[in-house]
Amino acid sequence: MANPPYKWISQRVRVREDRRFLTGQGRYVGDIRLAGMLEVAVLASPYAHALIKSIDVEDAIKQPGVVLAITGADLARDTDPIPQFLDLPRVRWYSLATDRVRFAGEGVAAVVATSRAAAEDALDFIKVEYEPLPALADPEAAMAPGAPVLHPDHGSNIAWQGAWTWGDVDGDFRRADRVVKTRLRWSRHSGVPLETFGTVAAWNSRLELLDVWASHQAPALSAQISTVLRFPSNRIRIHADLDVGGSYGAKRGQKQIALTTYLAMRTRRPLRYLEDRLENMAAGDGHGPDRVFDAELALSRTGECLSLRLHTVDDVGAYVGRGPLQIAKCITAIVGPYRIGSVRYSGLAVMTNKTNQNPYRGFGQSPHNFVLERLMDMAATELGLDRVEIRRRNLIPPEAFPYLIPSGSRYDSGDYPAVLDKALALAAYPNLLRFQAEARSQGRCIGIGIAACIEPSGANTAFFALMNPKHKTSLVPEGARVGVDSRGKITVAIGFASTGQSHETMVSQVIAEVMDIAPEEVAVIRADSLAGIPSVPPTGSRMSLMLSGAVLGAAQKILAKMKRIAAHNLGVDPETVEYAGGVFRRKDGSGAGLAFAEVALIAHTRKHQMPPDMEGGLSELYVMEVPGGGHLPDVAGRMQSYPAYTFSVHIPVVEVNPRTGEVRFLDYFAAHDCGTPIHPDIVEGMVYGGIAQGIGAALFEKFVYAEDGQFLSSTFMDYLLPSANEIPPIKMVEHVTPGPHHPFGAKGTAEGGYLTAPAAVASAVEDALSPLGVRVTELPMTPALLLALIGNGRRR
Amino acid sequence: MKPVNFDYAAPESVADAIRLLVEARGEAKIIAGGQSLLPLLNMRMARPSLLVDLARIPGLDEVRLSDGWLEIGAMTRHAVVEAHPLVRRHAPLLAAAASFVAHHQVRNRGTIGGSTAHADPAAEEPLALLALDSELIAEGPDGAAKWPIGAFFRGPMTTALADAQVLVKLRVPCRGPSEGWAFREISRRRGDLALAAVAVWLRREDGICRDLRVALGGVADRPVRAKAAEAALRGCAWEPQIVDKTPALLEADIAPGSDVHATADYRRAVARELLVHALNEAWERVGELSPHC
Repeated sequence: MANPPYKWISQRVRVREDRRFLTGQGRYVGDIRLAGMLEVAVLASPYAHALIKSIDVEDAIKQPGVVLAITGADLARDTDPIPQFLDLPRVRWYSLATDRVRFAGEGVAAVVATSRAAAEDALDFIKVEYEPLPALADPEAAMAPGAPVLHPDHGSNIAWQGAWTWGDVDGDFRRADRVVKTRLRWSRHSGVPLETFGTVAAWNSRLELLDVWASHQAPALSAQISTVLRFPSNRIRIHADLDVGGSYGAKRGQKQIALTTYLAMRTRRPLRYLEDRLENMAAGDGHGPDRVFDAELALSRTGECLSLRLHTVDDVGAYVGRGPLQIAKCITAIVGPYRIGSVRYSGLAVMTNKTNQNPYRGFGQSPHNFVLERLMDMAATELGLDRVEIRRRNLIPPEAFPYLIPSGSRYDSGDYPAVLDKALALAAYPNLLRFQAEARSQGRCIGIGIAACIEPSGANTAFFALMNPKHKTSLVPEGARVGVDSRGKITVAIGFASTGQSHETMVSQVIAEVMDIAPEEVAVIRADSLAGIPSVPPTGSRMSLMLSGAVLGAAQKILAKMKRIAAHNLGVDPETVEYAGGVFRRKDGSGAGLAFAEVALIAHTRKHQMPPDMEGGLSELYVMEVPGGGHLPDVAGRMQSYPAYTFSVHIPVVEVNPRTGEVRFLDYFAAHDCGTPIHPDIVEGMVYGGIAQGIGAALFEKFVYAEDGQFLSSTFMDYLLPSANEIPPIKMVEHVTPGPHHPFGAKGTAEGGYLTAPAAVASAVEDALSPLGVRVTELPMTPALLLALIGNGRRR
Repeated sequence: MKPVNFDYAAPESVADAIRLLVEARGEAKIIAGGQSLLPLLNMRMARPSLLVDLARIPGLDEVRLSDGWLEIGAMTRHAVVEAHPLVRRHAPLLAAAASFVAHHQVRNRGTIGGSTAHADPAAEEPLALLALDSELIAEGPDGAAKWPIGAFFRGPMTTALADAQVLVKLRVPCRGPSEGWAFREISRRRGDLALAAVAVWLRREDGICRDLRVALGGVADRPVRAKAAEAALRGCAWEPQIVDKTPALLEADIAPGSDVHATADYRRAVARELLVHALNEAWERVGELSPHC
């Protein structure tokens, strides 16, 4: 960015979190040591679906080191069910199965012992008698009449269904010259964290509080624990001075936290439940969307997109956590970056014998973008248009902003053609095409992918009400408290734990910019849940907008107060005072100034020098609200959702070996517009990491269930994450269209890499194999799948 | 993921190791580098009462020449097999196979003897040993035992080793003049176990393939020889029309399975694909290095 108007914003200042992570000083749930702390192990069901005929923990309790052993019956007796995000009163969810297990790996009993090894030893002594039932591992089979029902009281496996129509969809389809239609499969995968889910809970008898440390990213955690334990939320203290070792949406841990806090309350002993990898993979409730899509795009002869019809069946697993709400999130940007005049969107959330679905980076926007971009590639092929050209013809033009999409959101700003052009220039696209043509003439399968993508940011979750009318969320606040002490030193308190996105650095940059000091001078602490800082953790690419807005707001309140104190002491009107370079002085430059630290000293110790009606001290809380928020959806399901819209174009270049199905990256180009980048290194890190996850989704990652519901991907030998060997060097170019809803013009940026890459890589692989008649409709594109598609294509 | 309680012993001689194994009456497991055993222990899929660690027995990691054979101690780490000058010179196929084993960290700990005794049908080094017609030497309560490699593997994770026998040495014939070799593998990611792998050894004289051995991994319940393909090429001039027909001859010698990584059809297809490349590479490689043995 050339000559930014800021001193600290957009600068590559030292990322203050790096030091602790690079020197091994991260503090995770596994690092917490409390005197006398016990450990928990959970007995997993070997069946995907079975009735529990009997369960006996008596022998386990007698084993060395064992303090307590419980079953689901204890939880059903002593606690309320875990809150679910859809309105399903007859689906009762507890941390341990009560009378029926609903997925392989579901917990049926828990042991508390002096060590995890002792607890695991004791599990061998629990006797369970099961009556196996037929299991469901396919959502469409689970919807079929006569299918076994997971929750008989609920009566069917359908947790939710709904449909919305925005605009004259049927008319647009009638008027269309061409309709492209496809069925697509997005496979279950997720942001598998390096650190599994863990909770430490301890009854604090001194303060009569329940202390909780959890490796979570869960909004409203105190309220959830309060509901389950029937215990007041102001006596649950959730510590945020903790590092969370990876999440990207998956770290909700509702049942794990409920179990651990229950056991701590029951034993009145500090204890920890830290999942091992097998538990995390099979039963951690951390799997992402698992969808079947039927999609249709109506087009004019010239490639103008008229209307979209989209139906999705989402496999949400055995119980309903936050995952199914991902079906509705894409309504925020249902048309992507394209002018599509009308949309019909319908879906079902179906329960199967799998661990619960939870959010994954982008909250369902990545599969949605995969669908949109697959349709664009199909349309280009069928109309005989260039894949870049058809996108260019449909991009929302820069003069159209703010742009109202059919589902009610207004995109804030953007220059999509400019970003597309930057991506093409970065890739030297004409040269790439020439290279591809030459290579093809030598029999090589070179593919150039293209995908564009909207990343909604700022997390307005009012769309929850579309799927659950009782979920009336029209406020998603983020607070920050800025304090200046008597020496003039600044501390900012924020209210959530680090999941690795360098928020402390961002906070220090915002304060440095406003207070005109160096970022290193700012202290940032993480206040616990009882400190009175409203916070929703990092979700929906919200913090660059929401946290920076909160910090800015609080800092401005402090400065305004300090100006009044300075004016009082300078004997002038506050309106005539300005602050710069650490000194308050008259705007005309005349007279003496008052240093920042002097004003702070007055505010803390010299009432006689303060304006008479002013409170002492310098401490201000500011609660940032989502710009344009505050409303629930209208009757047609329209709403202003997320406030800020980031845009990306990716161009990966691959070579596919047509005889082995292996995919090799030759290059990867990305253009990205997230408004003003607050810290360019952090933005790049977000995009690179997201692309790596997107490549994982495109080529490697899948949670596989056998037909009988057995889980086949419980280790990293079976669930393949891309490593440094598989991720190509990424070349990236930025474009800046300032966001109008933020003082510095920032937008969110945490998801775009993952939102764009799966679609882009699918496009590249399909392009490579298009001479062989291959169409990509399913991820991940394993070598075996591609070789089979090549074989089918040749036979056709 | 915590192992059951077990005792641990680190004897300083093979004889002591054998005595401990006999005393444990089948309840003991030998640990070499631990790269396969530790996950099995942690997942409680293996529940031995005793681990007998071979790490402190002197001499088990020696690499040396003996009468035209390269002798490699069973405790030799994969990283040493990969880089050792004697292995690279006299059994370059084996060094190449070792370079495909997992990642640096695993190669620094895991051992060639451990991998061979573990007998994963997709492991790399056993293929090279098979193609090179190696010998395996063990010691046990009844003295020493020796197997040609072809008689060693009995099925997945199953070998000819009896309960208290300790694999101590692998003997590989030194590369002679006119010999070529190749190792090819396809795996999901670099460092993963093979979906299919091929090791080729051959001797080329006067444009004739005098002898060859082809070993395949990942496509049966153990490392297998491509006997039909070998027979088609042995004693023949190296004509493309003969070489290109060998993939069709694999069918009788392989029996691939399906898993989360690939179907049986895929494994069959890429084994065929790898075979031709590996054969031609081995043929071309003859004379590339001059062995002194």
